[in-house]
Amino acid sequence: MSELALRYRRNTSRHQIETALARGTVARLHVPDDDAKAHLVTAVLKARGGHDEELELFGEPTASLTPKARTKVRARIGAVSPVVGLMTNLNAWENISLPAAYHGSAPLAQVASLAREVLAAFGIEPRSFFSRLPDELGMLERKIAAFVRSLVGAPELMLFDALEDGLSAAECQHAARFEAEYRARRPGGSVLYIDTREGA
Amino acid sequence: MLQALREIEGGIQLSLNVAARAPRLRVAPIFESFLRQVYFTGVTAATGVVLRACGLGVIIIAVMMDMLDADVDLAVKILLLLVFREIGPLAAAVVVILRTGTAVSAELAMMRVSGQTRALRYLGIDLYDYLVLPRVVGVMLATAALTFYIQFLAVLGGLVLSPFIIEATFTELTNRLFELFAPLDFYYSVLKSLLFGFTIAACCCWHGLNPPDLTHNAVPKAVTRAVTQSAMLVLLINAIFAYLVFGILFFGLVKASV
Repeated sequence: MSELALRYRRNTSRHQIETALARGTVARLHVPDDDAKAHLVTAVLKARGGHDEELELFGEPTASLTPKARTKVRARIGAVSPVVGLMTNLNAWENISLPAAYHGSAPLAQVASLAREVLAAFGIEPRSFFSRLPDELGMLERKIAAFVRSLVGAPELMLFDALEDGLSAAECQHAARFEAEYRARRPGGSVLYIDTREGA
Repeated sequence: MLQALREIEGGIQLSLNVAARAPRLRVAPIFESFLRQVYFTGVTAATGVVLRACGLGVIIIAVMMDMLDADVDLAVKILLLLVFREIGPLAAAVVVILRTGTAVSAELAMMRVSGQTRALRYLGIDLYDYLVLPRVVGVMLATAALTFYIQFLAVLGGLVLSPFIIEATFTELTNRLFELFAPLDFYYSVLKSLLFGFTIAACCCWHGLNPPDLTHNAVPKAVTRAVTQSAMLVLLINAIFAYLVFGILFFGLVKASV
């Protein structure tokens, strides 16, 4: 069990969802509808399952976690998801650096260096990108900002929720590089793609 | 009734949370948010809106002096009792409610409706720390600064204008003002304006974070409730303060027995 990064099970009258993700691996999960997806993503991000859900993260059942342990588990998870969107009143840089600055988890110079590296990989000029508000960014750029913000925390488990939603075919190719960028910085990390579309 | 009790309980909880978390202002993003709030409430308001509020104070002085056929003593008393103690803090509170109260409640309600507050929680960021504390402390300090600014300009305007209405020189009025002025007047208005700022910010934050539902229609409803209740609370505090400190209520209609 300790080799699993995530195990999730949900039984409802309409459907049954079950998935397990071994540490260091990549999995794609297609859920029946948006409601099921929202339940799964929310449970993982909260590190707490609902009454009809069973959730284990990093080999530990989340139901038995103390609040302190739950907070620690949450810090090991990153997500690019509409559920964890950007703050509309902060520019891209403030969004990216907010969790690190708030928790004091990483020096801002280190955050800036990481952000520049990732933006360069996507061919984005950092200065103008950093100063723009989320509403001034394209859909891919917003996802990149959310991705960089997640990367700063060096998560062991990365969720990509509906990653291709709202992107053009060319942008989807760019988004496909998220995993490689994550792997380059966290080789032993696990990745879970979640989507509602068949064959996504 | 239940709703009112819920709001009172929520307001008290929010206030206690802010007081307990004050040391968190040292955290960089919270401090930046605090500075932004001070800038928005204090600095940007000081340019146009405050001058208009000061104009109002000066007009009141002119009308009162003309109507009451005031002498030096009465003119200075009007300046001190009416403008310094009452109109200054109230005018600042009105400016803060109209500009900051509406902005804070709309911004927070929008964040709540669009799921940004949920996103903050998932990032491990406490809403009281990041959203409420800097706004409440920032609005408190900015309201005190605005009050002082309005009082200074309105009293100065009154001193400059009075010699045109009554038979007194600027020097006579100024000397009499310094004779009558007591430190209590200053502490009274500072304390009152801090309390006004706290009440307005706490009320607007609470309504912004607790909109009636999670649709976009809830945003204007939250703003309306926040502004209405803030205004009522400010008037209530003003009346209680006047009674407690000077033993007068409702412009002297109710007096404390000493």
